[in-house]
Amino acid sequence: MNLICLGISHHTAPVDVRERLAFSESDLPNALGEIASTKGINEVVVLSTCNRVETYAVADHAGKGLDVLESYLRNHFGLASSLNLPFFRKSDRDSALHLFRVASGLESMVLGETEIFGQVKKAYASAQSVGTTSRTLNKLFQQSFSVGKFIRNQTQIQRGSTSVGSVAVDLAEKVFGELKRCRVMIIGAGDMSRTVAQSLLSRGAKSVIVSNRSFDRAEELANEIGGEAIRFDDWESRITKTDIVIASTSAPHTIMKPDAVSDAMRLRRGRPLIIIDIAVPRDVEPEVADLADVYLYPIDSLSQIAGRARKQREAQIRQCEELLVSYVDDKGIPALEAPRADFGGADPSKAM
Amino acid sequence: METGWTWLLISTLCFLGGFAYVAISLRTGRYHPSPLNLCIMAVGFVAQCLFLGERGQAVGRCPITNPFEILVFVSWSAVLLYFVLGRAFRLSLMGAFTAPLVSFFQLVSLPFLRDVPEYRPADDYWLEMHASISLLAYGAFALACIAGVMFLVQDSLLKRAKLQELSYNLPPVTNLSKAITRLVGIGLALLTVGIASGFGTKTPPTGIHLFLSVCVWAAYAILIGLRFTRGLSSRLSARLSLGVFILPVITLMMLDH
Repeated sequence: MNLICLGISHHTAPVDVRERLAFSESDLPNALGEIASTKGINEVVVLSTCNRVETYAVADHAGKGLDVLESYLRNHFGLASSLNLPFFRKSDRDSALHLFRVASGLESMVLGETEIFGQVKKAYASAQSVGTTSRTLNKLFQQSFSVGKFIRNQTQIQRGSTSVGSVAVDLAEKVFGELKRCRVMIIGAGDMSRTVAQSLLSRGAKSVIVSNRSFDRAEELANEIGGEAIRFDDWESRITKTDIVIASTSAPHTIMKPDAVSDAMRLRRGRPLIIIDIAVPRDVEPEVADLADVYLYPIDSLSQIAGRARKQREAQIRQCEELLVSYVDDKGIPALEAPRADFGGADPSKAM
Repeated sequence: METGWTWLLISTLCFLGGFAYVAISLRTGRYHPSPLNLCIMAVGFVAQCLFLGERGQAVGRCPITNPFEILVFVSWSAVLLYFVLGRAFRLSLMGAFTAPLVSFFQLVSLPFLRDVPEYRPADDYWLEMHASISLLAYGAFALACIAGVMFLVQDSLLKRAKLQELSYNLPPVTNLSKAITRLVGIGLALLTVGIASGFGTKTPPTGIHLFLSVCVWAAYAILIGLRFTRGLSSRLSARLSLGVFILPVITLMMLDH
């Protein structure tokens, strides 16, 4: 018996290849059943996300099992055998270590991201629900969850936001705590302001107001993100009821002056105001940052925070790798141990 | 033989240890809110209770008979309020900020509390109530001062867009601002009861004692009043909660025990 893993990921395949091999949620149970009923395959879990399609299985023979998996994927998605697909093939300890790395976010496009942990859990639950897992994969996936938690708890791999939108969310949460009472106002309907507003909405922001010189464009964006459009002349009067302002107009001069913001702050009675200035040239006078309870973030400072977080995460990889190895050395991989003492057989590379 | 001094020493070491643990883990980037720090604070608090209990039995009344006992009592009040309110407000890390102030107060007091105190049983229960409730109020003001420090640190980090280890572990500024207002409000309510009960004692407060108590009450009442009526900024509220705390400290030092 061998534990095997065959797949493609963003490391080896561009999106146009990955999308051809992606399983839909409704398709997955049938596919799992078909793979598990193939001769020589005893257990199977399929992890299909936008960045990877990976098949974990327990096979009678590693090389043959990997060939079966590849052949199934090609047939299922109608891909000719002559088409060169950059599959990776792993067996036994390498397969287990790969799954542990995936669950820990070490194989993710954004290092340390937590979404993959939920996706691995979901993939395992799907396989369990159709009965394609048994002792080996049950033990392996349970251990992968423990490893994923251990790595995240012991390191800072998930610390820090790596995109401008998520940095804005982080800052807003450090000012307001929960965002569910926060009202967002976009001044200037650009792509970046939409991205930031969507990040805030995804974390629970209460409402969004869109103000733009072209009212049609304001309405268009408001409809797209479920907000309210207002005339450009009205944004100043609405700022007292707003908690987060995203300014991104193409005005050649600043539109937000300290005096106007100071007047608004008096009416806000100590409630903080975050202003995210994405515009170039800037929309907000830098002196606004000196006002009490006002937090002004130009686009450069958000980009710098995201850049620093990316570097910090990269610097954490080595520590995570060492922890992973010491964890496995210490605890072993029960899924590969007795009573199935015949694990660790054929070298899959010889079967390629 | 000293009365409960060992408990005071253990308590001080716990708070110092708890502070050192958090400070080092923050500095090395390995801080995670863990039950360990809470346990250290809890052991420190239990040791404080045992010290005050033994000392109280020895003097036959609430152990606030000299400035050093008072410092320990105020420290105890601050830790008690941290457990009751700090955790309810989900102010993680407040314990770490409370610990240095409490450690400082107790370190100052330690050398002076190795004595066997004179047995002076309480003969005026209004006086006992007046003193203990007033000191509990000062504990709330101490905690408001700590929340003020935390606010100013977080505010400064956020103003400079410094999302780092400390910032991640400090509570949001809005929560800290609310905590300051609530702690000052609680302290003010307790002090009102404390001052009022002072007039029921056999020797009602007069002169400098009364003047200082009213000054403390008025300062915090103005802070709260401005916050609610004029929308005093959170930053200024934090600065005032920090600055005004000097008044209770002066009052404690100048009281006739």
